[in-house]
Amino acid sequence: MALARTIENEAPVIALRNLTVAYPRYGGEPRTALAGIDLAIDAGEMVGLVGEAGAGKTLLARTIMDAIPGDGRLVCGEMDYRGAPISRIGRDDSPVRPGRDIAMIVSNPRNELNPVLTVGTQITNVIRHHLRLGKAEARERALQMLRAVAIPDPERRLDAWPHELSGGMAQRVVIAIALACNPGLVISDDATSALDVTVQRQVLDLFKALVEDKGVAALLITRDIAVTAHYCDRIVILYDGEVVEDAPRKAFFDRPHHPYSVLLMAAFAHSVSLRRQWTAAPLKTAASPACRFAERCVRRQPRCIAEAPALRDVAPGRRVRCHFPVEAVA
Amino acid sequence: MQILRYIARRLLFVIPQLIGIVAISFFLIKLIPGDPAVLMLGPNATADAVANLRSQMGLDQPLVNQFFIYLGNVARGDLGMSWQTANPVLTDLLQRFPATLELVTLSLLLALAIGIPLGVASSMHKRGALRRFADGYGLLAGALPDFWLALVLIFVFYSVLQIAPAPLGRFSFMLIPPETITGSVLIDSLIEGRFDVFWSALGHLILPVLTLGLVNAGPILKITQSTMDRALSSDYIAFARLSGLPRRTVRAQAFRASLPNIITIVSVLYSFLIGSAVLVEIVFGWGGAGQYAVAGVLNADVNPVLGFVLFAAMLSLVVYLVVDLLYFALDPRTRV
Ligand code: SF4
Repeated sequence: MALARTIENEAPVIALRNLTVAYPRYGGEPRTALAGIDLAIDAGEMVGLVGEAGAGKTLLARTIMDAIPGDGRLVCGEMDYRGAPISRIGRDDSPVRPGRDIAMIVSNPRNELNPVLTVGTQITNVIRHHLRLGKAEARERALQMLRAVAIPDPERRLDAWPHELSGGMAQRVVIAIALACNPGLVISDDATSALDVTVQRQVLDLFKALVEDKGVAALLITRDIAVTAHYCDRIVILYDGEVVEDAPRKAFFDRPHHPYSVLLMAAFAHSVSLRRQWTAAPLKTAASPACRFAERCVRRQPRCIAEAPALRDVAPGRRVRCHFPVEAVA
Repeated sequence: MQILRYIARRLLFVIPQLIGIVAISFFLIKLIPGDPAVLMLGPNATADAVANLRSQMGLDQPLVNQFFIYLGNVARGDLGMSWQTANPVLTDLLQRFPATLELVTLSLLLALAIGIPLGVASSMHKRGALRRFADGYGLLAGALPDFWLALVLIFVFYSVLQIAPAPLGRFSFMLIPPETITGSVLIDSLIEGRFDVFWSALGHLILPVLTLGLVNAGPILKITQSTMDRALSSDYIAFARLSGLPRRTVRAQAFRASLPNIITIVSVLYSFLIGSAVLVEIVFGWGGAGQYAVAGVLNADVNPVLGFVLFAAMLSLVVYLVVDLLYFALDPRTRV
């Protein structure tokens, strides 16, 4: 009993090992869209996943939810939820259920709600299905959730239609749905990018508070590295389907180690000189380089073309995938 | 309350709409060559007799006057006489319109019963054999002429297998027709307890309903499938799936989203079939309203045609009003 407890407390909520997803390509090798992702998130921890469009951020989220889009295929990899291996979540025999144990919110909140169902119905649908509650209890819980996401006049909002809500309100409702069944992990896939800046801040503040309060593990996917600087405990940088850097927030922003991280930071700081300094001249080589970032890297050496860098520990809690990590930016 | 105001406003426009429809069809029909007086009296009539009849029928008056005379009569419930049947048009139509309505209504119910489940299922399983079958069916149903299918069905089920009754009318002509109450033979015979007529009518309905049902299931299937497809790829369905809602809930939500489009296509088909089921009516000797109107057009018998147009227009207006009310009930965004 005691042992089980400690394991439960110490194991990360979600642990991904060597997660690899490939898409078939006409008359060619399959394209590896996610290459051996290793990532773990603890309870109450908020991890920011940053990368440009096409890096595989959304695909990673969908893979965790067992909802890989298109004809992509999970080639290999393992997932643990609270220390117990899960084959694929969502299978009937899996104890881990999407929506209950792992919840996800995506961008454009107005479109995420069904226009012909009231807010209350949409929340209670999820609650009743996952928690097997009766009508009245589910409604009571939905009301609690609306209060938790600080929606004014929650009783009335239960009977409101989605088109009667502002974007920020709709996003709060979506968060309420995601958190309604006390999930262990919440993934936010660029969820606030459609909102204007002040509303985005309010929603993120609320989200952060809820995550800390409920001890939920959170994965915050974004293109905006500034968002992670404010809200995340740890930053993970994804480039072309690979984790290239993983570091605690302060360490990361003090001294990014991967050349790509520096480039992202330059954009964040609106520093033209920094960006120019870290943008590489086009690569002139016939062989496709072993490091996926080599084509855009100012620090590449012959070794980068010949040998793929591994994701290695450089300090406690810090990993970087580079042969020649950056020590000083300027 | 808003809905009552809406209905009142709609009803206000019904009369002008009907007058407009009658006006257009009146002048269009007058463009059709052929003098009813000549046709009625036959080729050997004297010029005097023709002129007499023409003035009797008001045909010597200016067209605009003729129109207002007709309009005045219609307002008093007099749709004129048909010289072919020698009956008042109103009597004829009250007899024939229900026959067509019965046929079209049952056919559309069958079409819905085929089209909707097939559309929903094929949309939920995009890669299955069912999808390919549904796509093939949609294509085929769109390409088949209904009267041709009717002839094939008659050939197979009447001539070869001898299961279906002869394609002659709405029930066996050996039976005494029931009193007309609603005009639907099925309902009237049940009301009067005439089960012999009921079973005979049911048997006679099978092939024409099958014909129109099979053909019109095509568009219903297509609409259901395409709107379900669109709903299933929408963000809120994706979110419902990510929220772990079970498949049947997702299906129900997507179906709910495609209901307005299904209602639209059904209303269009309904109004359309009242007139265009005529070929099938002819094949089965149905004696419906479409058949009556076409005979009128071919014989310069103006009053039945105008009467039919008026009836069909009123029906369409009713159908579209019902459709609007359904939209109203279905979409919370219209209930501000
Ligand atoms: S391994 Fe070489 S090419 Fe790749 S990021 Fe590091 S320095 Fe650049």
